[in-house]
Amino acid sequence: MNSPSISTCGSSEHLLYRRSFLQSVLAANATLQIGGLGVAAETPTGEALRRQQKRALFIWLAGGSSQFETWDPKPGRETGGPFRPIQTAVPGYQVCELMPKLAGLMQKIAVVRSLNTVITAHEPAADLISTGRPKEAALDYPEMGVVLAKELASQDSLLPDYVSFFPATEGRRRPATGFLGGRHAPLLLENSMRPGDIDLPSGLSDLEHKEREDLRQRLSSEFGNRRAGSDLVSGYNSAYAKVRGLMRTDHLFDLDREPAATRERYGRTEFGQQCLLARRLLEAGVPMVKVARGFWDSHHDNFESHRELVPDFDNVLSVLLTDLDDRGLLDSTLVIVLSEFGRTPAINKDVGRDHYAAAWSSAFAGCGIQGGAIHGRTDEDGKTVADGEANASDVAATIYTALGIDPRKDYHVGLRPVPLAKEDSKPITTILS
Amino acid sequence: MADEKEKQPVELTAACEHSGILFASCFDEESGMLYGAGTDAAVYRVDVNAEKPAAEKLWTHHDNYVSSLVWLKGMVISGGYDRKLIWTSAESGKVLRQIENAHDGWIRDVAAFPGGDRIVSVADDMLVRVRDAESGELLMSLQGHARETPQGFATALYAVAVSPDGQTIATADRIGDVCLWNAESGQLLRRLQAPAFYTYDSTKRSRSIGGIRSVCFSPDGSQLALAGIGAVTNVDGFVGPTRIEMWDHESGKRTWAAEDQHKAVLNHLTFHPTKPILIAGGGGDSGGILGFWDKATGKLRHKAKPKGHLQRIEPRADGTHLFAVGHGGFQIWSLRDL
Repeated sequence: MNSPSISTCGSSEHLLYRRSFLQSVLAANATLQIGGLGVAAETPTGEALRRQQKRALFIWLAGGSSQFETWDPKPGRETGGPFRPIQTAVPGYQVCELMPKLAGLMQKIAVVRSLNTVITAHEPAADLISTGRPKEAALDYPEMGVVLAKELASQDSLLPDYVSFFPATEGRRRPATGFLGGRHAPLLLENSMRPGDIDLPSGLSDLEHKEREDLRQRLSSEFGNRRAGSDLVSGYNSAYAKVRGLMRTDHLFDLDREPAATRERYGRTEFGQQCLLARRLLEAGVPMVKVARGFWDSHHDNFESHRELVPDFDNVLSVLLTDLDDRGLLDSTLVIVLSEFGRTPAINKDVGRDHYAAAWSSAFAGCGIQGGAIHGRTDEDGKTVADGEANASDVAATIYTALGIDPRKDYHVGLRPVPLAKEDSKPITTILS
Repeated sequence: MADEKEKQPVELTAACEHSGILFASCFDEESGMLYGAGTDAAVYRVDVNAEKPAAEKLWTHHDNYVSSLVWLKGMVISGGYDRKLIWTSAESGKVLRQIENAHDGWIRDVAAFPGGDRIVSVADDMLVRVRDAESGELLMSLQGHARETPQGFATALYAVAVSPDGQTIATADRIGDVCLWNAESGQLLRRLQAPAFYTYDSTKRSRSIGGIRSVCFSPDGSQLALAGIGAVTNVDGFVGPTRIEMWDHESGKRTWAAEDQHKAVLNHLTFHPTKPILIAGGGGDSGGILGFWDKATGKLRHKAKPKGHLQRIEPRADGTHLFAVGHGGFQIWSLRDL
């Protein structure tokens, strides 16, 4: 049974098994695009190697959370709504009363209250914030998480470079790999907290599976040398190696291994458990994790929905930051809280707030961030940015800089040099350490 | 035109514009004064008998949204998101009594007992509190509603009503639970479950929507009507059918349930004072709605389009008029041949 011929049995079970592996790793509908783009085959530079201990966690509040009910309350104003502000650990800075735990942790968190990102439709706004640049017809720019995963990943790691949780279907986005190609696609966890299809088929031992893989790799290499080109084959080999790595690290996705008290601290909500899983992955060396929490689009009953969503967010993020800090990971992990936009100052007839991009907030903590820094401000009604205006490109430049990545570093798409952050972007230095 | 108007069973006869949202109202039958309050925390008054009714700003005693107003013997009792209950003289505007922390959470609704000797309030602390209407003394604090949604999130206790004989209190919450309480002993008599008012779609959006927004006893006390919204399919506004359920609260059986194609939440409902009709107002994706349902069958008899979305409705005791408040201000409706 140890004969290499097992690997070429052609059974439907094996074929499906291998295919579903690849679908998990390469992500649904992703294609392997390697040739022609110098970026994909790039080996880590010395600088990149130094960065390999750095990680990033995107917390994506899908649908657009309200800045008034989180980071930029406007007490006593008609636009302010019914929630009261509370004092934070940062003198003179108040947040919404729905965030008492984060208020106490503000010395570890930086807030940008002065985003003006213009676009107020979900999809294009999410594209803008996710990539840090306006859409260009001739440039399929990848999502920032994909870039960060590529920049921060260790080439010899068997872990996924990027794991993306997005359970809610409304507003769901799959990180676009753009010109970096499908090889950089994240592992998507949408319907489950555990990757699918990573169990060995019944009757197949781990050794047998390993031998199959050795044979597949040898045949692939021979095929590559003769016909297809080494880039293509190395891409496939890399993908298969990730599958093996994923199978070996299956225990990372098992939250039952966490103490019950830890699980309780994070809360039993889906968002809480996903953030706990994110911490496990980051700790194990996954460089890029995204946890999307839907669905914040509060056109009606804005205050009811924020009464529900913000306390969970407050609890989970505060526990997560404390947990990362206690484990010595916060200094090397950049935590980014973003939405596609904020919510309108005006309260509509459905007691809701609509989309608003002219003055809203985001938050950052950890690697490269000056905790307690509050950048910018809005006017007394929260309608316009009064000071420190920043745009989506500035946010991207800030994120790259915080992680020690030069935002001016060029990728080459064909012959065109493309900087990581848009040419005119400026890092928000006041929140950088 | 005059003939056409006369054919309409209801007609908007006057509207007084207001910049914010009015959540609360009460009406003094004797003076014909309608009071309203909401997002700006101020209490306004409209003389509904005036030739050109206008809203007059009276006082601002709360420092957050005002959710409920009760007219009682020359006083306006108000409850708000500031957790306060405030008794104000309607004539002088002076605060007669104030309870700072009447609840540990937003006060959502307040009702007076028929005899006017007690009031009952509900709030986001999920407690039902009965007080002496004169002194404000706390007589009972009742606990029976779940403190969290089934998914572990904050819930809300939206509505309270007292039966016409003053013997029973009904309270209704976000997840569709109704509690019936003995008003004398505080005993929980019965729990009714109306989960169709509560939408939680874990696949689409992982967030709850809806709740029973209003509860009302029938004039004979035997029936209990509930109002809100049915299954919400989209969050770009209230995109779900208006929903009303009628229950025989003694037997604990639902008599009927009615949903309409009009996509909206019904924020308040009341019985017509003289006819077997249930009236409810609200608003949502299909716009504002003022609807009239047959009390026995649940059939929608008439649907009118108000100016803006309604939050509260008050019928005149003789059944000739209906007063409404909501987004955009006060409205006075003439009720004709329903």
